[in-house]
Amino acid sequence: MRHISFAIGIGLLLAPGAAAQAPMTSLDSARHVLNRLSYGALPGEVEAVAREGVLKWINQQLGFTEIGDPALKEIESGLDILHTTPVQLQAMQQRQQAQVQRAQAIVDSTARMQALDLLRQNQQDGRQDLRFLFGELASVTVVRAVQSDRQLPEILADFWTNHFNVFIGKNQDRPFFPEYLEATLRAHALGRFDELLIATAKSPAMLLYLDNAQSVAANSDLRLLAMEQMQADRNRPGVVLIPRSRRPAFNLPQRRAVDSAQMARLRQNAPRGLNENYARELMELPTLGVDGGYTQQDVINVARILTGWGVDRRDGSFAFRAAAHDQGAKVVLGEKFPANHGEDEGMRLLRLLASSPATMHHVSAQLCARFVADAAPDGCIDDAVRAWKRSKGDIREVVRAIVLSPDFWAPRNVQSKVKTPLEFVVSAVRALGGTPDPTPRTAQRIAQLGEPLFQKQTPNGYGESEEDWVNSGALLARMNFAVQLASGRLPGVVIDLEGVVPLTPDHAVLVDQVNRSILSGAMTSHTREVILKQLAEVADPGAARALAVGLALGGPEFQRQ
Amino acid sequence: MTINRRAFMKAGGLALLSLGADPLFLDRAAYALRSAGGRAAGRTLVILFQRGAVDGLSMIVPAGDPFYWQERQRIVLPKEQLLPLDGMFALHPRLAPLKPLWDQRSLAIVHAVGSPSTTRSHFDAQDFMESGTPDVKSTPDGWANRYCRHAEEHANTPFRAVAFGPQLPRTLAGSAPALAIDDLRTFGVKAARAEGEAKLTRAFEELYEGSATGLIASSSAESFEAIRMLKTANPSANPPANGAQYPTGKLGQSMQQIAQLIRAGLGVEIAFVDVGGWDTHVNQGSDQGQLATRLDELGKTLGAFNTDLGDRMRDVVVLTMSEFGRTVQENGTGGTDHGHGTAMMIMGGDVHGGKVHGQWPGLAPQQRYEGRDLAVTTDFRSVFSDALQGALGPADIAQIFPGFTGPTKLGIFG
Repeated sequence: MRHISFAIGIGLLLAPGAAAQAPMTSLDSARHVLNRLSYGALPGEVEAVAREGVLKWINQQLGFTEIGDPALKEIESGLDILHTTPVQLQAMQQRQQAQVQRAQAIVDSTARMQALDLLRQNQQDGRQDLRFLFGELASVTVVRAVQSDRQLPEILADFWTNHFNVFIGKNQDRPFFPEYLEATLRAHALGRFDELLIATAKSPAMLLYLDNAQSVAANSDLRLLAMEQMQADRNRPGVVLIPRSRRPAFNLPQRRAVDSAQMARLRQNAPRGLNENYARELMELPTLGVDGGYTQQDVINVARILTGWGVDRRDGSFAFRAAAHDQGAKVVLGEKFPANHGEDEGMRLLRLLASSPATMHHVSAQLCARFVADAAPDGCIDDAVRAWKRSKGDIREVVRAIVLSPDFWAPRNVQSKVKTPLEFVVSAVRALGGTPDPTPRTAQRIAQLGEPLFQKQTPNGYGESEEDWVNSGALLARMNFAVQLASGRLPGVVIDLEGVVPLTPDHAVLVDQVNRSILSGAMTSHTREVILKQLAEVADPGAARALAVGLALGGPEFQRQ
Repeated sequence: MTINRRAFMKAGGLALLSLGADPLFLDRAAYALRSAGGRAAGRTLVILFQRGAVDGLSMIVPAGDPFYWQERQRIVLPKEQLLPLDGMFALHPRLAPLKPLWDQRSLAIVHAVGSPSTTRSHFDAQDFMESGTPDVKSTPDGWANRYCRHAEEHANTPFRAVAFGPQLPRTLAGSAPALAIDDLRTFGVKAARAEGEAKLTRAFEELYEGSATGLIASSSAESFEAIRMLKTANPSANPPANGAQYPTGKLGQSMQQIAQLIRAGLGVEIAFVDVGGWDTHVNQGSDQGQLATRLDELGKTLGAFNTDLGDRMRDVVVLTMSEFGRTVQENGTGGTDHGHGTAMMIMGGDVHGGKVHGQWPGLAPQQRYEGRDLAVTTDFRSVFSDALQGALGPADIAQIFPGFTGPTKLGIFG
C-alpha cells in the first residue's frame, strides 16, 4: 500500500501539467512551438528561436515562400521520382507487369525461377525500376521532414496526406501518387481549403483509389462507354506524349472495325452503374464528418453528380466523360441540383461541401487534434472556425488562429502529445544533427514502427492520437531504434554526436548536456538518476555517451511532444 | 481504474527493485512451465476481424435463395464449384480447407448477422463492433478488454490478451492489460551485443517505471513483463505441429504465432488478429479474383491453425467478424457497395458445428434492409456473447455489452 501511494505521488509530481504550472519561459515557448509546428528542434534551435522571438518564427513559417531551402532543392533535383510523369510511371508499371506475367507463364519450373530471379535482379539495380523510384518518394519525404527549413508546411503536408489519404499499394493509383503528393497536397498545403478539396477530387490518384473513375450513370450507353474504353486502350500512354495543350480538342474514334469478341469482353468488364465509394468517403472523412447530417440518399446523389469524373488514360490527366454522367436532377443536403448539368454541378457540390459549417467544424477539430491535444478542445475549434469563416477557408489563417488560441499554450497541453512514428524518427534524427541518405532505409524504419508512408490502405489515413501509436510492441521498437541511432549503427543516417554532446569523462556533465541538447530540458530527475546509474559501469566515454543518448531518445520523455 | 492498474504495476516494479527478484514473475514462470507439458492450462478465444466489410453472400453463399442468382452477374459463383453445407447454404470454393471442419461439426456459421446501427461507414461500424456498443461512440474501451477486467479470477499474465499487429485494436483497448505484438520473434530490446541485452532491457524498464505517464506507462510495464515470460517459455522455438502449413503472409504468420503462444501455455485467453482487403467495390471476382484470393488465404490459415493445434482445439475457439456486409446487387463496377448483414464463422471448442445458425431473412427486394442489403436478424452481440462464454466459460455479459438486452445464447455452444 505504501508503494502504491508513493508511486502515485511521483506520478503527479512528474506529470507534464504539474511541472508546467509556472509561467512558461521563452525557452519553454520555443520548445513547445518547435515540438508542435516542426519535426522537433535541431541542436541549438530552441535557444535560437527563443532569442529571435517565437512569434517571429511562426510568422516566418506561415509565410513560407520566403524560406529558400537551397540544400533541399539540390537533393530534390537529383531524385528521378520527382521528375517522372504519371504517364511514364504507368508505362513502366505495365512493362514490368508484362515481364512478370511472361516469366510466370514459363512452363518449366527451373526456367521460370531463373527468369523471375533475373527480373528481380534487374529491378534491384535498375534506376528504371518502379520500386526504386517509389523508394525515392518515401526517402524524400523523410529527408524533407528532417532537413527542410519550411517545417510547418512539411507538418501540414503530412496532415493533408492523411486527411486526403490515398493508398499507394493499389496498382491503379500508384503511378499517379507522386504527382498527387507534389502538385495536389503539397502545393495546396497552406492554401485555400476549397481549392485543396477540388484538387484532390480531380486528381487521378483519388479518382482511381476510391473508384470514382469507374462510376457511371446507371443508364449510360454501354456501347459508347466501351468504345471510349477501347479508344483509351489503343492510345495507352508511354510512347508518344503530346501535352494536353497541344492536342486537338477532339480525338475522334478511329474508324477501325471493332472486333466483336473484343467488344463483348469490353462490355462485360465495362462499368455499368454507380459506385458509391468515393461519394461516401468524401462526405465522411475530409469534409462533413460522419455525423455531418448526410443520408444514404445523399451518398447516392453525390455519386450521381460525380459520374463522369475520371482519368484520361492518354495523358494521365483529369477528364470529364459526358457519356458517363448522370444528367438527371438531384438533391444533396437539401440543395437542388437541376437536370442537364455536367462537370459544373460537381464543382458546385465540392464548393458546397467545402463551405459547410459541418466541414469547418470537422476539419478544424482535426487540425486542433494535430496541433493542440488528442481530444480537440472546444475553444481551439471555435477559434479555428471563426478564422475559417473570416478568411473563407484560408488554411494559413486557420492554423494561425489555432497556434494563437489559449488552448495551444495551456500547460496541460504542453509535452502531452505522443509522437507518431514519423515524428519520433525524424525528431530523433534532427536532435542528433543527423542527415538521412537518399535511400529508403530510414523510411523503412518508420514502417517498422507502424507507419509505412503512403501505405494506409483505408481512406481515413493514419491516426493522430496516443491510442493509435502507444502499445507494448511499438514502444520496444522505438527503444531499439533509439539505441541503434545513438550508437551510429543505423544504416542510412549520419549523425553528428560530437556536435550535439561533446565527449566528456564526467558523467554528470554528460547527462546534463544530453538533457539540454536532446530533451530540451524535459528530463525528469528519475531519468537522470537511472541514466547515471547505468553509466557507472561504463568506462569508455564514447560508449557512455552512446548509452546516455540512446536511453534519452528511447526513454519516455522523448516519446511526447 | 487506469491509475489503480498503473500503480499496481509500478508497485510490482518497486518490489522487484527492493527484493532483487519478482515473486509474481517467478510464480508466472512456474505457471508457464507447469502448463507447457500437459493439457491446457486455459482456454482461448481467437478473434479474427475481416476489416473492410466482407461480402458474406460470397463467403457463405445462400445458394438456395433464388434471388442470389438474379442479382449478381459478374461476381456470381459458379454453381458447380460451390461446396454445399446444407440445403440452403454453400461455402465459397476457396474456403475448401474449412469443409472437413464443417463435416466434423467443429465449424458453425451465423448468417444475416450484424449491427443494429444503420451506419454504412467502415470506421463507425468497426468502432461499434469493437466497442460492443452500437451507436455509442463515447465508450472508452473495447468489449474484450471489459471481459478481461470483469473476469479477474483468471490467471493474471501479460499474455492474457494479445493482439497481433503494429497497433492495439479497439477491441482490446482499455484499462485491463493487453499486449500488441507485431512479430513474436523480434519482440524485445535489442543491444549491439547479445550479452548486453538483459542490462539494457533493465535500464529501459527502470526509466519507464519512473518517468512514463499515461498509456506509455501501462503499455511499457506490460512489455517488460512479457519479455521476461517469453524468455522462459521461448514459444518461437516450436514449429507448427501435425504437418500444418500456414500460407505465407501476415495472417498466416500471426495465427501460427498465436498457436505457439497457446501451446507454450502462457495463459492466452483472448488473441486478436485482423486482416484487410475485403472492401471490394470494383472487380470483386467470383471463384477467382480479389475476394477469392483473400478467402483462399483465410481458408488455408484457419485450416492450418486447426491442424497445428490438433487436440488443443478443444480448448480454443476462433470467431470471425466483419463490420457489415455488402449490397445484394452487384454494383456498376463488378463489385459491391457497403451493405448491412453478413456472415460470421465459429470453429473449435465445444461448438455446435455443422449448422448455419440464425434466421435467414431472404433476399427478395421486400425482404432486404432498405431494399438493397441483407437484413440483420441476429445482433452481433448475441454471437459474441455466445462465443465468448462457449470459449471461456460464464461471463458477466451485462458488463461486457452494456445496454444489450437481446439473447446471449444462440445455441452455437452448449
